[in-house]
Amino acid sequence: MGPLSRENWAQRVATFRASPSAFMVGPEGEDLGRDLLSDLRSEKLSEQTKVSLLSLSLEYPAQLWPDAPAAEAAATSLLDTLVLLPPRPSALRRPLLLAATTALAAGGALGPTSGASRRLLPLLLGLAVGRDLGRGFGPASEQRPLQATACECLRELESCKPGLLGGCLGLLRGLMGQEGPIQPLSLLLALALRNTLVIKAKARAGLQGLLVAGNSLTEGSPWNWTLAEEGDAHLQPQAPSWSAAEEGECGLAVLEPSPEEARELRAAVAQLLDTSYLLTPAAQAQLLWLLGWAVRGLRGQPPVLFKPQLVRLLGTAQLTLLHAVLALKAAFGEALFTAQDEALLLRRLTLAAQHPALPLPAHLFYLHCLLSFPENWPLGPTGEEAVPLLLGSQLCRGLLPSLLHDPMALLARLHLLCLLCVEDEEKEEKGQDQSLRCYLEELLAGLRQRAALNGGPRALAILCFQASYLVVRCLAGQPMVLTPLTHGLTQLYRAQPALAPHFVDLLDRVGPELGEPLRVALRQEVVSRPGKDEALRWHLQMLAKVANEDAQSATLSFLQAAAAHCLDWGLQQALLQVCQALLRAGVGGGLADLLQVLARQLEDPDGRDHARLYYILLAHLSGPKLGMALGPSLAAPALASSLVAENQGFAAALMVQEAPAPIRLSIGPRRAEGPVPVLQLQVEVLEPVYSLELRFHVERQLYAPVGAVHVPCLCPGRPTSPLLLPLQPRRPAPARLDVRALYTTPTGLTCHAHLPPLPVNFADLFLPFPQPPEGAKVGFFEELWDSCLPEGTESQLWCPLGPHRLEALVSCHLEPFVVVAQAPTSYCIAIRLPPDSRLLLRLEAAHADGVPVALRTDDWAVLPLVGAYLRGLSAAV
Amino acid sequence: MAQRAVWLISHEPGTPLCGTVRFSRRYPTVEKRARVFNGESYVPVPEDGPLLKALLFELRLLDDDKDFAESRDSCSHINKTSIYGLLVGGKELWPVVAFLKNGMIYACVPLVEQTLSPRPPLISISGISQGFELLFGIQDFLYLGQKNDTELYTKLSQLPDLLLQACPFGTLLDANLQNSLDSNNFASVTHPQKQPAWKAGIYKGKPQVSISITEKVKSMQYGKQDIADTWQVVGAVTCKCDLEGSMPNVTISLSLPTNGSPLQDILVHPCVTSLDSAILTSSSIDAMDDSAFSGPYKFPLTPPLESFNLCYYTSQLIGIFVFLGQKFPKSMEISLSGTVTFGAKSHEKQPFDQICIGGTAYLKLHFRILDYTLTGCYADQHSVQVFASGKPKISTYRKLISSDYYIWNSKAPAPVTYGSLVL
Repeated sequence: MGPLSRENWAQRVATFRASPSAFMVGPEGEDLGRDLLSDLRSEKLSEQTKVSLLSLSLEYPAQLWPDAPAAEAAATSLLDTLVLLPPRPSALRRPLLLAATTALAAGGALGPTSGASRRLLPLLLGLAVGRDLGRGFGPASEQRPLQATACECLRELESCKPGLLGGCLGLLRGLMGQEGPIQPLSLLLALALRNTLVIKAKARAGLQGLLVAGNSLTEGSPWNWTLAEEGDAHLQPQAPSWSAAEEGECGLAVLEPSPEEARELRAAVAQLLDTSYLLTPAAQAQLLWLLGWAVRGLRGQPPVLFKPQLVRLLGTAQLTLLHAVLALKAAFGEALFTAQDEALLLRRLTLAAQHPALPLPAHLFYLHCLLSFPENWPLGPTGEEAVPLLLGSQLCRGLLPSLLHDPMALLARLHLLCLLCVEDEEKEEKGQDQSLRCYLEELLAGLRQRAALNGGPRALAILCFQASYLVVRCLAGQPMVLTPLTHGLTQLYRAQPALAPHFVDLLDRVGPELGEPLRVALRQEVVSRPGKDEALRWHLQMLAKVANEDAQSATLSFLQAAAAHCLDWGLQQALLQVCQALLRAGVGGGLADLLQVLARQLEDPDGRDHARLYYILLAHLSGPKLGMALGPSLAAPALASSLVAENQGFAAALMVQEAPAPIRLSIGPRRAEGPVPVLQLQVEVLEPVYSLELRFHVERQLYAPVGAVHVPCLCPGRPTSPLLLPLQPRRPAPARLDVRALYTTPTGLTCHAHLPPLPVNFADLFLPFPQPPEGAKVGFFEELWDSCLPEGTESQLWCPLGPHRLEALVSCHLEPFVVVAQAPTSYCIAIRLPPDSRLLLRLEAAHADGVPVALRTDDWAVLPLVGAYLRGLSAAV
Repeated sequence: MAQRAVWLISHEPGTPLCGTVRFSRRYPTVEKRARVFNGESYVPVPEDGPLLKALLFELRLLDDDKDFAESRDSCSHINKTSIYGLLVGGKELWPVVAFLKNGMIYACVPLVEQTLSPRPPLISISGISQGFELLFGIQDFLYLGQKNDTELYTKLSQLPDLLLQACPFGTLLDANLQNSLDSNNFASVTHPQKQPAWKAGIYKGKPQVSISITEKVKSMQYGKQDIADTWQVVGAVTCKCDLEGSMPNVTISLSLPTNGSPLQDILVHPCVTSLDSAILTSSSIDAMDDSAFSGPYKFPLTPPLESFNLCYYTSQLIGIFVFLGQKFPKSMEISLSGTVTFGAKSHEKQPFDQICIGGTAYLKLHFRILDYTLTGCYADQHSVQVFASGKPKISTYRKLISSDYYIWNSKAPAPVTYGSLVL
């Protein structure tokens, strides 16, 4: 594409500026950076157009050349353009230098390996020191502005890469005494000096004569990157930390220069300070910040060097200069400012904070500085706004708020007034306290009066509530202030119920000191005036915030009266919101009646449904569950309407959620007694579980259906008695119980979980026969033994056990069923197998290597189970 | 101490966006430092569109602020300085220095050279005062001597070039943009050593010095037993020194007549090289300041090229007389008769008055007296000492203007300041 015309470029630049991101994703986005660089050399475009293109590159290099190689190429192209300029005066040289610097620094291309850096840095330094660069660099008249610009470029590069100019300190210092623009050189030297000191201190190295080195940088010699690479780890904040307590962080404290270096350093700082009055106020302030923090960390460098400047600076009204003095105050404290100096500085700040000749933003900033003043001996905790000790309430008289002030000024001054009230309260004698507090009360009353005006701008209401909030925050412990405030706010509500949203907001923000009494007063205010007009909407909104279980009957009768006037959907919803608040507060009886009435009476079906739902909830849910059902849903997105959020809350609270169970079930020791087999279940939980219901399902219907087990509450780590689960087998066979759990979490959700199946073993079904009387045992057993045949079956097994192991086996597993025992060799065992089977074992005449087991049963189907059981026993023992 | 971006936005209520960005300038090298310094808490400077919206919302300048919006109107959302946090793209851009003046919003974002969470105290951020100074400088440039909108637009169109001079990399070099404009014109003049940065060139021509003292008087008159009436005078001394030489030394003295009321709360121009401690300490904030230093007030200085405000002062007066007519009556009382007419109530929307509620009402007096100061403060031929070649022509002017001169309805409550309460 050929060069664009001036108009084309103007349009293109305007489109780009309107939204750079939109332009860059458009069809022309990709070419913009390249076109800009090439058209800078076009002869068809005027210098003015080219300056506007360079301005664009100064602001948006990241969009034009998004990565380091592109930035490097752009800087190279810009430098080429600069070199190719004809030797006549040109408006392009300055912006080209700025643009090349910006491209390198912003694009992250600055460094020893960058060709453009290796060209730009010597060029800038050459210009800065006033070296004759030949006619190519324009006529003599342009040299001075270019020299200043080169200094600015170097300063920016030094800011982005601290230590870059560490090798040029001596050279720069030498220039200070000579002809040259004083301000750019001073600022450049001050920054380079400070950065060098920080880096050297971090490396625990001396200055190594850097301050006195002459012009070590001859033409063509490579740039010294050593210091920049040492300092590369961090950018250097120009005021590393404000509070003197964080001294260690600035890292300067460790630098102890040799006496000779210290002398040179002092001379350099003094030289910079002596000529500082030649700098503009903004530049003077920068110099003071830089040198203040540089000298602060140096042992043996008294800050007294700054003293001659202070009186001159204190007399001015320049924001930057007074701010810089405050920075020196913070850096040096008592070493530079005696108590008298501190008092004078405070007085100057105090008068600047109210001087009629200064603009409001300056007043506000000075007031902030007063309340954050870096005192020599601060009393309170750091970081909190406070009235400085030396600034008594007498001196603050002019800084107190009045209704005539702009809102921001009023709030800032009100804060001061509150702090003074607190201070007076803490003092022994309370002379002025009275008048200050009365003044505060009158001011708040005036603010409320304005907020109560019909048709007034919302800003007046906002201001009134902000002021009230500020007062409560500062003076929460003073009932003398809070009581009239509560009263006044209640009256304000009476006068202007439309401020209900502000009251709700205030109640949300303040602590109980004001919140509790205000809630009560507002509730009384609302329920004592049955409303049917415009205000009803606000009353309902207010009541939804302040209603609770107190004064139920008054609240309910107010609502009953209001219901007749709630004709539109919005009002009905507002009414239901109050009902909801009452539900949540645990109000019962009367509310149920009201809800029933509403469920019939409301015109809007949605309203009726809601009323009915609330009624059902009230009737069926316990208190905590109700609270959860009505509470805000965590799942609801923040922007969803309250109805959606409420519905989601219901849905979450009333639906059963599938969840991994925090419950572990196991079968405890067998208890062979009673008419039916009973499993002892041990339950462990990982988190509190409420209303647990365990449901069981028997596989293949081997047993009669098993009833559910209910546990009201289980907590982790708390021992629980075992759960008893009676089984009614339809056949004497082992089975698996499928287990499901239904429970409520501590957050009120109802959950459902599948637990691992529980195995019921064959032996779990064993029951003993009733014990016959002593002496009849043998006969009893023999009778059973004989009764098994002929319907039943008989079998013989060989258990490979020694006599002692037999005894152990019996006592361990079969003890309850033994009818006749001749320990350790002979046992007669009778087992009842529900529903109506029996199993009889004779273990007799134990041999050394085993026991023959004779068994009979009336249910031949159990034979394989018995075999497996006995083999399992003898293997286990 | 650098700025990440600067904006000028005209506030246009009633239009869809309620405002237009008139000028903006971003500083990408500073932005790069911000990203490193702020670390995790870094929030990039937004494009002009989102910024405009967020700023107008925060300053309550959108037309849709009729309803309560918690994020802006909550009682805990308190701003006590002109420094804001703007919600842009779900993150909070802080600190944004911004103020509205004459329908124009001035805004900038100072660099904070540390992490933003927790927020450092404002007083520790050097860029804040630098930002204010830059914005005040732009405001002065746009409005000093500006007469109409055309002139404003001309000046707005000069801003990009001027900021390229005065703030090329986001670090403010000179808040006086007029000086930057002048330095372009003086570019060809050779500069001697020790040329102050705040002086663009050297004056050539007839030496002359002009000093003009303007006092404004503010008053609150209540006519009540328990509230004291108050008067306050605010003086501004403007000078223009057309003198040859690069650094001419000048001393200007202000004098008071024998019974003159002392000058207090004196703020001087930075070109004043030294200050007497009596001048520095004389202040109205001490209830009993009986040092009663009554001048002459000497200001040694090296003047800049352009007209400058040498100093501001205040003075407390106890009861003043304003001469009406030719003669003062013997009774030492004067009466001022006036007629108040109430027009028919217009149906158009009246601007809302938040002061005059119920019976609260006031008269505001406007007057101007030439060649007169209430304090008696004056400068004359002998007030100027010039240590330079040639005897300059000296001209002096005085003027008294009323400003916020209120006389309240004594039959109804009136807003008071703490100082006027008779305790």
